[in-house]
Amino acid sequence: MNTDQLDYSAEVRRRFEGAPRHGRIFAAASERRCGAAGNISHGVRVEFEARVRQGKVLECRFRAYGCPHVIAAASWVAEHAEGRRTAELDWIDPQALAQLLDAPAHKLGSLLVVEDAYRACMTGAGEA
Amino acid sequence: MNDDCKPIYLDYAATTPVDPRVVERMVECLGPGGCFANPASSSHAPGREARNRVEAARRDVAAMLGAVPPEIIWTSGATESNNLAIKGAARFHADRGRHIVTSRTEHKAVLDTCRQLEKEGWQVTYVTPGPGGIVGAAEVEPALRPDTVLVSVMYVNNEIGTVNDVAAIGALCRERGVLFHVDAAQAAGKLPLRMDEICADLLSLSGHKVYGPKGIGALYLRGSPKSRLEPLIHGGGHEWGMRSGTLATHQIVGMGEAFRIATAEQAAEAGRLAQLRRRLWDGIVSLGGVHLNGDAERRVAGILNVSFEGVEGESLLFALRELAVSSGSACTSASREASYVLRALGRDDQLAQSSLRFSVGRFTTPEDVDRAAAIVRTQVQRLRALGPDGSEAHEAAI
Repeated sequence: MNTDQLDYSAEVRRRFEGAPRHGRIFAAASERRCGAAGNISHGVRVEFEARVRQGKVLECRFRAYGCPHVIAAASWVAEHAEGRRTAELDWIDPQALAQLLDAPAHKLGSLLVVEDAYRACMTGAGEA
Repeated sequence: MNDDCKPIYLDYAATTPVDPRVVERMVECLGPGGCFANPASSSHAPGREARNRVEAARRDVAAMLGAVPPEIIWTSGATESNNLAIKGAARFHADRGRHIVTSRTEHKAVLDTCRQLEKEGWQVTYVTPGPGGIVGAAEVEPALRPDTVLVSVMYVNNEIGTVNDVAAIGALCRERGVLFHVDAAQAAGKLPLRMDEICADLLSLSGHKVYGPKGIGALYLRGSPKSRLEPLIHGGGHEWGMRSGTLATHQIVGMGEAFRIATAEQAAEAGRLAQLRRRLWDGIVSLGGVHLNGDAERRVAGILNVSFEGVEGESLLFALRELAVSSGSACTSASREASYVLRALGRDDQLAQSSLRFSVGRFTTPEDVDRAAAIVRTQVQRLRALGPDGSEAHEAAI
């Protein structure tokens, strides 16, 4: 594979380069939630951390091992999680995310890992 | 980064630019005032002049191999040469047996050709390389059978740059009366190629890997005792009936000149490329979590294949788009298939998937290498920091 086969949307490029909302959350244990999904040996691993108060996401951060679409999707989810209720989970639609990021159909499986990681974080499941 | 800037070209194992000295010779064969006539038109002087140039090129290619000119057959490239050698030999000798031996790390031009023969009723044994990815007689010998008619093993692996022990395999095949084919597309111009040492009956060559044009290659076909093939292309009886079709004078002249230059400059160039490769490796290895793929010593000068811990292959390649390098991983496909060569070497999925092949060449400078190493260091650190194991210290790199 060569770089000329790598065609990404402006949104993916921006999030891949800048990685907005990447990092960790430093908060009291009572307010901190973590969740993860995927496996590095399978090519995708996503982790979310959030600071939650009274059922509302105050801050969300991601860490990701994956292709540029995965990094961009995790960044987008972390950014759009802030201000939402933790019980609110259906706003992440991997197909809509694929459309937003102009991701090819075969990346849908990787975007599902992003959704699973976020759900695990919000539900307190830890590992999806 | 600025996507419009020209990447640093470190993919000479994929193809090379045509050397300006070669371009000059090729241009002489184009245009109304050039040597453009059909080399088969022996009835007039321009045709005979074209034929003379084709035969001079044949002598240049034969000289690199220590062969005689009639042992060289022009083809469209190494893929066609591999097809002609393997299918041609297998079909011609089908009455002697229908078993072929090759290795799991061959180029697809060999593997897919063998798979086609399997569909036609041949049996193929795919041997696993030994330590460091090297294929030698120890790997091939147990696979030989009384009905084996052909062994096909590449000289230099195109992905990892390791040098197989073709001389030992050739000697074994000669002793057992089995034909031996060598895909030497990656070896020509990088290593001395002496047919009396390799003991190959058939050997494939490519023009564009040696600073010649694309679309031209050659097959060495041992003349004494004569190797026999079933041709793939019929019509006109060119190339002793082995490969019909009007000869492309300008491309043949280009390949001849490219091989003449490579023969003259190979020893000095190998030393310079080895220095560049070491410089690149030294610049990358300080990152930690970096693995050299393939034997560290038994390799050609210009190819460096490296796996990186903690980075995903597709992201790595995209992050390094200031460099023109190759990834063995087919990570844009639905299968996310890692390099079959690295898997055959026993690399785990993550390392096989995060491998890059850097290949330096005639026009690579030390400045190119230093700049490339700096870009690799920056981007690998950045991607590692993005990952699940990224520490706060790493985050400063983003």
